Amino acid sequence: MTEMAVGVSFRPGELEVRPDGSGNLLGSRCGSCGAHFFPVREVCSGCLSDDMETVGFSTRGMLYTYSVVRQSTPAFEVPYALGYVDFPEGVRIMGQISGCEIDEIGIGMPMVLSLEPFGEDEEGNPLTGYRFSPAEGIAQDPRNE
Amino acid sequence: MSDVHILGVGMTRFGKHPDRDAADLGAEALRGAVSDSGIDPRAIEAAYCGHVFQGMVTGQRILAQVGLAGLPLSNVENACSSGATAIREASLAVRAGEHDVVVAVGTEHLTTRFRGALTPDPSDPEAAVGATMPAVYAMRATRYMEEFGMTREQLALIPVKNKTNAAHNPLAHFRDKITVEDVLESRPIADPLRLHDCSPVTDGAAAVIVMSKRAAKRYGNGRAVRLTASALRTGTVDVEPTSMTFEPLTWATAQDAYERAGIGPEEVDFAEVHDCFSIAEVLRVEGLGLFKQGEYPAAVERGDADIDGSLPINPSGGLLGKGHPLGGTGVAQVVELVRQLRGEAGVRQIEGARVGLAHCRGGKAVGIEGAACTVQILVR
Ligand SMILES: [Zn+2]
Repeated sequence: MTEMAVGVSFRPGELEVRPDGSGNLLGSRCGSCGAHFFPVREVCSGCLSDDMETVGFSTRGMLYTYSVVRQSTPAFEVPYALGYVDFPEGVRIMGQISGCEIDEIGIGMPMVLSLEPFGEDEEGNPLTGYRFSPAEGIAQDPRNE
Repeated sequence: MSDVHILGVGMTRFGKHPDRDAADLGAEALRGAVSDSGIDPRAIEAAYCGHVFQGMVTGQRILAQVGLAGLPLSNVENACSSGATAIREASLAVRAGEHDVVVAVGTEHLTTRFRGALTPDPSDPEAAVGATMPAVYAMRATRYMEEFGMTREQLALIPVKNKTNAAHNPLAHFRDKITVEDVLESRPIADPLRLHDCSPVTDGAAAVIVMSKRAAKRYGNGRAVRLTASALRTGTVDVEPTSMTFEPLTWATAQDAYERAGIGPEEVDFAEVHDCFSIAEVLRVEGLGLFKQGEYPAAVERGDADIDGSLPINPSGGLLGKGHPLGGTGVAQVVELVRQLRGEAGVRQIEGARVGLAHCRGGKAVGIEGAACTVQILVR
């Protein structure tokens, strides 16, 4: 816990942050029926199997919908854009949107996971969280093709 | 399985009550319901109290204020469906033959618990990235506009309609009519939603007295209304992303209620639905099967959902106009249904109303489509 260059995941069970600054959102894959879930869960709600494996999701997906939040809790500075991104594994994950102007955001945009500073812990150490940014080109993660 | 009736409804004025608390408001609503029913309060055999943020034994504090003691009482929490869940529990106790006269009260002193946007429980992964309740509904509105071509002006007609109804409801939080321009010029909350698209932070309470057929015959004087279905469901866990412009949970809960009541959506004369946001009313009435998907905004524009329209929606003013004291909300919906069905709704009276439906849903947990949903059907 000495290297703070990248920071520590703001929610370690949900976001894996590697020393090189890359990372993945974490969830579960059902070994029985293949369904994916975010966040990690113990039992598959499709087939009720408990043969669940923790997996990292693709970093690219498609923006399902979004909003620009203009009133929030004190923990978040407004305005910020929030969206749901559909990933190829069949999960829809909410995150803030960064890397573009608010009026450039549109439903169906290809998005990529972006690890960014995201608040700090109780001792004031910086934390790493995630946002989604517009991606160039296709939405599919090459690893899944 | 015995028939369940409602005789006796009461509610406080909804709004800001800085000098009162949830128990005191609940007691006022309960005394109102007892007085409306004409029964001796000692005839009450059991009680259920719905609330969300009011702390331990709120129901016991209410009963103590009205001098009732020694009863079986349960406090129930189901987010915005808490009050409706209390009515369902009361109806089950009567249906089971355990009790003849049961009170369901819902209360909330929300102004001392929340300011501004409600947020999901902090442990929720979506709350951790900045989700607020308005933001989640705003995202659904964005998607609905894209899929069905609803305009921002069409969406504004929903708060305009509900606040027009509320202006005629002396117990409503808001008493001023508004225009489309007022909606579009109100403070932005989460695009495309603005302040008038959001239900307010409200204090208030409501109570109903649920009875067996036998008790309704004894005390009713022909004023009892039949509660023919009181359905409750939790949301299903999403195995894959589903449409956010349709509500499978509302649909499934409604199917439970229609089946139990032996009544289809085409027989419903009017409804109180959970319009916590303008877009929520659209999603709800379509999920209930009262309007076809994608068609409600145009129906509102035609006036179909007005009090004098073909299918009035939220004649009380709804959550947008009457207010949304979480625990009180679901009970107050049934208060409106009973008053309408008895022909006692005054200037808001819907001509010939015979079948009314009340819908609540509330709570948010990541990965599930809605936390708790209730659909109740009342028949004159
Ligand atoms: Zn499975």
